This record gives sequence, C-alpha cells and structure tokens, in this order.
Amino acid sequence: MIVPFSHVMILSGVVFVIGMFALLARRNLIMMLLGVEIMLNAAAIAFVGAALRWQDMEGHSIVLFIIAVAATEVSIGLAMIVRAHRRTGSVDPEIISLESKKEE
Amino acid sequence: MMFDILAQNPNLAVILAATLLPLAAFVVVLLFTRSRPKLSAGLSIGAMGGSLLCALFLLIRHPSMDVPLQYAGRWLISGKINIPVGFLLDPVSILMLFIVAAISFLVQVYSLGYMAGDPGFSRYFAFLSLFGWAMESLAVSPNLLQLYIFWEIVGLSSYLLIGFWYQKFSASQAGKKAFVMTRLGDIGFFLGILLLLFHTGRLDIATLAAASTGMSPSMTTLAILLIFGGIIGKSAQFPLMTWLPDAMEGPTPVSALLHSATMVAAGVFLFVRIFPFFSTSQSAMTVCLAVGTVSMLLSATMAMVSRDIKQVWAFSSISQLGFMIMGLGAGSRFAGMFHLTTHAGFKALLFLCSGVFIHHFGTNDIETLGRSGCRRQVIPMVCLVIAAAALSGVPPFSGFFSKESILSALAGLENPFWLVAGFLGAFLTAYYAFRLVFLLLFPPGGMDSNHEPAHRNWAMAAPLLILAFVSVVLGFFGKDLMQFLGSSGAGGALHKEAHRAWLTVIALAMPASGIVLAWFEFGRKSSDRKGFVERIPSLADFFSQRWYLDKFYAALVRRVVDGGLSALCAGNDRKVIDESIDTFSRSVIGAGRRVSMWHVGRLQQKLFVMFAVVMALVIYFGFNFG
Repeated sequence: MIVPFSHVMILSGVVFVIGMFALLARRNLIMMLLGVEIMLNAAAIAFVGAALRWQDMEGHSIVLFIIAVAATEVSIGLAMIVRAHRRTGSVDPEIISLESKKEE
Repeated sequence: MMFDILAQNPNLAVILAATLLPLAAFVVVLLFTRSRPKLSAGLSIGAMGGSLLCALFLLIRHPSMDVPLQYAGRWLISGKINIPVGFLLDPVSILMLFIVAAISFLVQVYSLGYMAGDPGFSRYFAFLSLFGWAMESLAVSPNLLQLYIFWEIVGLSSYLLIGFWYQKFSASQAGKKAFVMTRLGDIGFFLGILLLLFHTGRLDIATLAAASTGMSPSMTTLAILLIFGGIIGKSAQFPLMTWLPDAMEGPTPVSALLHSATMVAAGVFLFVRIFPFFSTSQSAMTVCLAVGTVSMLLSATMAMVSRDIKQVWAFSSISQLGFMIMGLGAGSRFAGMFHLTTHAGFKALLFLCSGVFIHHFGTNDIETLGRSGCRRQVIPMVCLVIAAAALSGVPPFSGFFSKESILSALAGLENPFWLVAGFLGAFLTAYYAFRLVFLLLFPPGGMDSNHEPAHRNWAMAAPLLILAFVSVVLGFFGKDLMQFLGSSGAGGALHKEAHRAWLTVIALAMPASGIVLAWFEFGRKSSDRKGFVERIPSLADFFSQRWYLDKFYAALVRRVVDGGLSALCAGNDRKVIDESIDTFSRSVIGAGRRVSMWHVGRLQQKLFVMFAVVMALVIYFGFNFG
C-alpha cells in the first residue's frame, strides 16, 4: 500500500502543530522541550515523505542529521533544565527568568 | 582736571563734600572701625558736622536764588531717554539739605548718651550716617530716577535702624513691616516714573517744575496719582499708615530722626519738589487733599487713646504729615514746606525728650512715667512742654505760624469742609498733646516718693536745648522763609493765602479749647483722668485698635495673599510643575522597566510571536507565488 504524499504532509503538519502547542502553552520546561522534539519529528516525517515522493536519498540523510541534532539538543536542554531547577526550585520558564533576574 | 572744576565751582565742591562725607563715614566705620565704638561715633558725628557746615555755607551764600544751580553728568542716554546724574540746588533743596544735616547731627550727638554701652554702637552710627547720606542726596537729586534711588536707600536704612535691635522679634517684625508697606507705595511711584519717562523721555525735576510735560490731562492725573502712591507709603498716609506706629521698636533717637527730617519727610519733600507738576491736575490735588485730611483726623483719634508715649508722637507725626499734605493739596507750596521745617524741629524735640524719660525709667507707658516722677527732670520736661505747645500751635512757638499758613491756604478753597476739618485737626492735636503733658506732670496716682536724683547727661541735654530754642524762634522767620522759597519763581504762582482776622481768632481758639479740655480731664486735681473718648468704651476700643486697620490688613493678607495668591502659586508649584516632572520621570522609569522585561523571560510569548510571524510570511509568500 502506497501512502499518498498529501497524507504524509497532513500528518507532519498535525504533529508539528501539536508540538507547537506544547511549546507555547505548557508552563513546564520539560514539556516545552518535548514540544520541540515533536516538532523536529514532524519535520523528519515531512523529509521522509518527500524522499519517498521524489525517489531521492537526500531526505533520509537529512533525517539522520535531525535525529542526531535532536539527541544532542535533548541532552543539553535537560542538563540546563536540571541546573535551572537546582538554582530556582522550579521548571516554570517565567519563574526561572524572574529568579535569574533577581540574582543579577 | 577734576580739581580744576571743583576750584572753579565752590558750590559743586561744597555740595559734593556735604553729601559724600556721611557716605565716607559709613564705609569707614563699617569696614575698619567697627570694633572701636568711640572712634566710630567720632567719625560719624564729625562727618555729619562737616556736612552741616557745608549746608550752612550754601544756605548763607544763596539768600536769594533766581535760577536754580544744576550740575549734571551724563549717565543714561538711550534714544529719546536722557537721564543725567548730578545735583540740583534751589531754595527748597538747600533748605531740606540743611534741615536733614542739622537734625541728623543733633540726633547723632544725642545718641552718644542714649546708646552708650550698646554692643552695636559702631553699627548704629554707621547706619545713621547712611541714613543721613541717603536723605541729603535725595534732597539735591536733579531728576526723579536719582531721587527714587536715594528714596529706596532711605527706606533701606530706616529698615536697618527700626530693626536695629534685631534680637527682639517685634523689632525685626516692625522693620519688615515698614519696609514692605513703604515698598507697596513705591511700586506706584516707580510706575509713575516709568509713565513719565515713556511719555516725555525726561525726568528732570527742573523741567517738571515748569509743568509743561505735553501729556494728556488724564495721563497727567494718572502719573501724579501713581507718584502720590509713593508719597502715601513713605509719609505713612492713609491707607498705608500702620507701619509708622510699629516703627517705634527702633531706638528712640532713630524715631526722632525718622519722624522729623528723614524718611517720612521724604514723601512730603517729594510733593514740594514737583509741586508745580502736581498742581497741573486739579482732581489729583483734590485726592491729595482728601488723603491728607483722612490721615490727619484718623491718626489724631488714635493718638487720643494711646498709652505709649512714643506711639502718641508717632500718630501725631502721621497727623502732622497729613496736615502738610492738606496744605500742599490746597495749593500752597510754602505752607507745606514751612510746616515741614517747623515740624522737623519740634517733632525731633518731642522724641528726644521722650527718649530721655524712656532711657531713664525704662518704660514707654505714660502713667508709669508720670508716677516715676519724670517732672523732676527739669530740662527735658520743659523742652517737652515747649515742643507740645509748638505741636498744638500755641502762639509764640513755631507750630502756630506754620499751622496758620496751612489753615489760611485751606480757607482759600471754595469748599469750607476742608477748613473745618483743619480746625478739628488742630483741636484734636492740642487735646492729645496736652493730655500726654498733663498725664506726665500730674500723674493719676501721685508720684512715687523714692527717686534717685537725675544725673544730667550733657550729650543728651544739649540737643534738646538747641531744638527748643529753634522751636521758639523759628516761627518768626516765616516771612523770610517765604521770600527765600518764593525767590525761585516756581513757588509763588499758585499761592493764594487768605488773610482774615477771624481765621487767626479761630486758629487761636482751637488749640486753646483743646488744651482747656485736656486740663479739665487730665490736669485738674479732682479730675478722674479719663478722656471723653474713654467714657465711650466701644469708641475708645475702636480708636485704640487703630480703627481695625491692622486687623483688616492682616485679614486681607491672610485671605487674599496667603489664602489666594500664594496658595495658587504653591498649588501650581506642587501640582503642575513638580507633578509634571515627577510624572514624566516616573513614566520614563516605568517604560524602561517594561522595556527591560522584554530582554529576559517571556519565552513563550516571544516564541508565539515568532511562529505567528513565520506563519504570516508563509501565507504571504504562498499566496503571492503559489
């Protein structure tokens, strides 16, 4: 069964919007980081779909890059969140920025 | 070169010496000899004596003067405006110069005794010199602007002297009151000068005396009334009269100087000086007449109930100055100047005599003074009686002649009201003067028996004797004085005295009846020492509260100035100026804080904006190129 390209793009768009929603609406840095991951995955889906559509391997290679970038991003992002939580006792971005401002 | 000019003009040299000597004394005393009181007093008295000699020289050298002498240097020339500085010598100014120098000299000699041991002795003499210098320079000023400058210096020095004992709160208050109230009149004077300058471009007294300024009649009247405002302030006329009784806070010799030759006399002198200009407007002259009359009667009633010896004389000064202005307003320049001259003599004498009592007994209260036995001090008491008689207008003394000339000027008017007011004033004057004399001579409770013998201080006694002598004989020189003043040609033009027999009779009867009434109420053995005014408590209260003028002014100042103007200004300051700046700076701070919020935090909002912008770009480009 061949999945039509338009379906892939719709799935990608929906996942991207879900990620965006998580990024914009949640008051928790971990959930926001998850949102970013989801948006990256949505982009990866779009690349895979496009590679299938135009019979081109470049899309696959870029997805590999995306996965690598996402992994580093998560590791660095989680480290920073842990550090921020230690300093401020919170994972809310607003509270963290206020606290860090106070320390200035 | 300068000495050549002086050698060629002995008059100029003398007048320069006369006016600059006291100034030099003032500067030297204040700068160098403050710590040495004896030397300061000597310098000051010497300078004033030199000045007196110069004035005497001028007086003798010019027994009759057809053309006034004028020495002028150019000072302020701008387009049409031309104001010189210099000296103008005519009979009026020479006479005034002499009066000022003589009274100042006597007062300074007297002060040697009165102020002995005062910590501010040097300062006191410095201020007296300043006062003398300012008044002498005022007398010989050739134009109104120069006169105005010295007018203000006179005001300044009287402020300094009234508040001489500045540690006393009431004294500094009195000084301030005198300064502010006279300044109120001076605003009018200055506006008048500006008006004249604006319309004619000249302020020369000599050309003003020629009385053709080329201004429209209403403008002339306005200018005259504005200048008269300055006279009202300076000479303590109604309605700006209340500063003078408070000026008693100064040392008594200062009061003598202030009330006779300087300060208050400056106002009347200005009137005499530009009399021909004043007499061009009949309506303005009537206003002057009315103001003089009101002041004279008002302050005479105040003097009738006062218990403070200096205050009685202060009220009488206002009254007599009002009388002079009446005479001038009635059109007789000679009468006003004559009364100014005689008044300077006997009023200085009155104050100096009172000063002896105050100095000796340490109180101002008439009854206490009488009880302490001030009639045992023969010289001051006799002098006081002579001066009071002169003040009341008893025949052989000087006041009689000058008063009669004013009354005859008043009789020359069509409206008999002014003459009646003048007679009433003469009656009241005699009454209050002799009320005081009888209270001093025959005190209510009898005298205290214990008293130390009065030690005689010749520095204080000699001026009294000289002034008493002057008060006795000065009246007989009325005719000479008239000739002297009339010789300049400007004074005689409007002179319309009415010599009537009945006038002299009434002029004699009025003071006589006043003295008799005073005798019945205060002098007789069986009298109860209560005046006819004091039998009506409400009236007595009204008079002793000075017709509630002070209260009225206090209320006016509180309501209008404090409550109205200054509240408005303070409100403006606080609410508009301060508040606007505060609001502006507060909003800048707030804006900065708000802007600073943007660079930190608000992560999700920023992200939202970023996504929105990207979406918008996508839609925009998608629809354009898609």
